[in-house]
Amino acid sequence: MMEILEYIGLAFVLIGGIFLFLGALGIYRMPDVYNRLQAGTKASTMGAMSVIMGVGLIEPEWFFKSLIIVIFIAIANPLSSHALARGAYRASLTPFMKKKMDAYDKEFHQKKED
Amino acid sequence: MKKVLVLLLLVVVGYSLYVPLSQIEFGADRMGSIENPTTVGAYYLSKTPSELSVANVITAIVVNYRGFDTLGEVSVLFLAATGIGSILYRRRKEGEHSETISKPSSQLLQAGAKLIYPAILVLGAYVFIHGHLTPGGGFQGGAIIATGFLLMMMSYKDFHMNHTVLTWVESLAGITFVGVGIGGLIVGTTFLENFMPVGTLNDLFSGGIIPIIYVAVGFKVAAELAGVLDTLLSIKEN
Repeated sequence: MMEILEYIGLAFVLIGGIFLFLGALGIYRMPDVYNRLQAGTKASTMGAMSVIMGVGLIEPEWFFKSLIIVIFIAIANPLSSHALARGAYRASLTPFMKKKMDAYDKEFHQKKED
Repeated sequence: MKKVLVLLLLVVVGYSLYVPLSQIEFGADRMGSIENPTTVGAYYLSKTPSELSVANVITAIVVNYRGFDTLGEVSVLFLAATGIGSILYRRRKEGEHSETISKPSSQLLQAGAKLIYPAILVLGAYVFIHGHLTPGGGFQGGAIIATGFLLMMMSYKDFHMNHTVLTWVESLAGITFVGVGIGGLIVGTTFLENFMPVGTLNDLFSGGIIPIIYVAVGFKVAAELAGVLDTLLSIKEN
């Protein structure tokens, strides 16, 4: 039973490592702030959560602690990247591609007029 | 002329660094063993667990062996906070918001900050309460708590620190620190002497006066940094 749990944990760690690598690659390769943010955040959220979950499965005594850390990451990581993207938009950093649709622009300007 | 002076200074500094270092044999083990310490560092490493039953040797040095130095550091921080406050602080009028955060933050950030804020406070308290057992201590825990307040200040425009409460917390923490020091003078022989029972290694209540002082430092640092941040955010832009 313990061995199965350990193998599952190792698989989690491996998946997390692959995601973290892809995130690093995305930050290196993507053209502008928003693309880099989404690559980095998605990958590091998934990667870190998966690695920590895997560690918790390999060492069952740490499972509860790692669960708390995973919940914290699930709250904090997307939130911080949301705030960063919003800050970048407010600093009027233009996206790399020509935007066809920009719902946020409308909302942003409406708020400004209020 | 200036360049010549700089060169001269470099030569002097380099020489005074070279002379003492040249007398140490390269790769020499100057620490000695735990049983037979030859330097003060090895002495601390060997004596701290048995003398003070404190697992974190750095905390033992900062708060116990060099407690007076830490009192000085805390005073420096206090002076810096007071200086910033006296230059920048102005009383807020009713319903007035800080000028630097003019645009409202998003609903998502506001909701998330509310969730994370208590967790940050708990983490900071944990770091300074366990300062004598795990890495970290009063200064780090206080800084973490101030980060929590900063998050709330940036998410909510209405979130302001109560400066009266901050002053009280700060003063009480400082009085606790000095009071513990004077207690050492009364019970023992020297200022900041560890006069309380040290307990057993790795217990939460161990180390004598060390946890008390570090909790006080944690509160003091948190109050000072939060006050500084609040004052900085309330600057009126002209």
